[in-house]
Amino acid sequence: MTTLIIDLAVTGLITGLFYALMAVGLSLIFGILRIVNFAHGEFYMVGAYAYTLISLVLGVPVWLALPSAFLVGAILGWATERTLMRPLYAGYTSWGLMRDEYAVIVTFGLSLLLINLVDKIIGPYAMRGPSLVSFSRMHIGPVFMSGDRLVAALIALAIIVAVSLFIRYSFWGKQIRAVAQNRLGASLAGIDTARASSLVFALAGALAALSGALLSPVINATPDVGIFPAIKSYVIVVLGGMGSIPGSIVASLMLGVLESFGAVYLSYQYRDTFGLVLLILFLLFRPQGLFGEKGREV
Amino acid sequence: MTNARTRVNIEFAATGVILLIVALLPLAVSNDYWLGVLIVSMYFAMCASAWNVLAGYAGQFSLAPAAFAMIGAYTTGLLAYHSGAPPWIGILAAVVVSSLIGLVLGRIVLRLSGPYLALTTLAFAEIMRAVISNSINITRGDLGLEVPGILQSRLGWYFLFLAVLTLVQAGFYFLLRARAGLYLQAIRDDEIGAASRGVEVVFWKTIAFALSSGVCGLAGALYGHFAHFVSPELGLISQTGLVIIMVVIGGMGTLAGPLIGAFLVYASSEMLRDVGGWQLVVFALLVILFARFFSEGLWGFVRRLGLPRNHRALVAGSGAERKG
Repeated sequence: MTTLIIDLAVTGLITGLFYALMAVGLSLIFGILRIVNFAHGEFYMVGAYAYTLISLVLGVPVWLALPSAFLVGAILGWATERTLMRPLYAGYTSWGLMRDEYAVIVTFGLSLLLINLVDKIIGPYAMRGPSLVSFSRMHIGPVFMSGDRLVAALIALAIIVAVSLFIRYSFWGKQIRAVAQNRLGASLAGIDTARASSLVFALAGALAALSGALLSPVINATPDVGIFPAIKSYVIVVLGGMGSIPGSIVASLMLGVLESFGAVYLSYQYRDTFGLVLLILFLLFRPQGLFGEKGREV
Repeated sequence: MTNARTRVNIEFAATGVILLIVALLPLAVSNDYWLGVLIVSMYFAMCASAWNVLAGYAGQFSLAPAAFAMIGAYTTGLLAYHSGAPPWIGILAAVVVSSLIGLVLGRIVLRLSGPYLALTTLAFAEIMRAVISNSINITRGDLGLEVPGILQSRLGWYFLFLAVLTLVQAGFYFLLRARAGLYLQAIRDDEIGAASRGVEVVFWKTIAFALSSGVCGLAGALYGHFAHFVSPELGLISQTGLVIIMVVIGGMGTLAGPLIGAFLVYASSEMLRDVGGWQLVVFALLVILFARFFSEGLWGFVRRLGLPRNHRALVAGSGAERKG
């Protein structure tokens, strides 16, 4: 019994770490632009494909393929911001399609575009990425775990810590936080708000792509593999308080644990719906999320 | 007032022309396959017009139109499967059930807007799909349900869909031509402003949700009987994506746009299927380009071509004063 509980808790926390990689980027984007990026799952998918193809087709060792996937995600995020998000800052788009609608349509369109582009160019077949490590299964105390998952979780943890520190203490991180708090005020203080937004998108794309790359040995990547992780990260970002990074990290871990226990003790069939029900309840009754940050803070 | 009414009248005339062309098409198209393609286009046209009233006119950007089509299809499907109810009762029940669920959803999301509304409706759609595909004892899950047909001939189905589509369009025309149309657009453009001028925002938003969901449910129910089969795939998020693509390409917030979009997108994607199936890539790209550069859609082009030269700039500039 205790073994089961520890096992479920550890599995849940590890799943939560991967959720966090995606949710942090989504949360940053929401914090700085007040939009939801509906193409976030496709950044994840592109990351999984980039890692798999770079290492399998080009024969690059996995430890180089991983940063390459990170880079591909960063470029994708950056390009998205440069080409599609710029009209948002001006406050209006071409002929008066409203701001929120524009953001939903464009990111939704980008999501469809990337899914179908990958489907046509690479094919709809499932692809498995090469393993990160050679040992396959191991157990720490009572917990059994695949080596890939463990290594991937450790990398994810390190990256999350690094990103949190970057946002909190670095010069650029401070700029991003300033823009999230008050865009106009930040630009009056001499911060290049457009560049801060580019940076946020590049970072968000890179983190989502890394998440996909790390998980590609355990998931079978298909062009629509990003849809579920994306929905999970919408839930997390709402639970954690939209725009808050510590909030979304905690919410990721909570959702991971909740799902792993819920699948055993509540209902396996409906495990994917717990989070969605929470999302609706939170948006209705506590839109500021778990930690009650009413002000804007990243 | 006069201007808005004239605009709706012109658009309704255009809708009439499109529907007339569709009514005459069977003279040229006789094989069952292409009639089927046009019937499915009409299914999408109903969903697209319904979603357009909600998103384009009332400004409530829901991501659940396909979910309501699925709810409608399953209402009649389950009635037929478990109690052997005749299709007409099933379709009626589908409209009632999906309108009621839409009414409830509309009440729930009343205070939400923008990204929050999109996320809530997306979550609702995914929950509905998960519930249907996992309640295997009742719905047979992903296996889907077999549903009895209504008519034998393809041509009969064709004109049934056309008749329903015409009724739906006429209904929307009378709604939008009346004060209700102005109320909805006022809510879209400035909710607080509309409320301060005496528009009952709560009432009209809820009505828009119920109406749009009811029509999607009707479309889904008809489609289920036509296909003899309903499955949770009807409610996939990609189906909603297709509806959005159609409305954005045709022209959001116009009466004729969704029709143009639905026929154009669905029929041409069937045509392009033989040339490598790049249609969805092309349409996704088009949606982004339209949203970025021509947010009035194809109907916006048509409308501006019909205006005298000095009016064109006025229309083109009219977006600037809208809420940013």
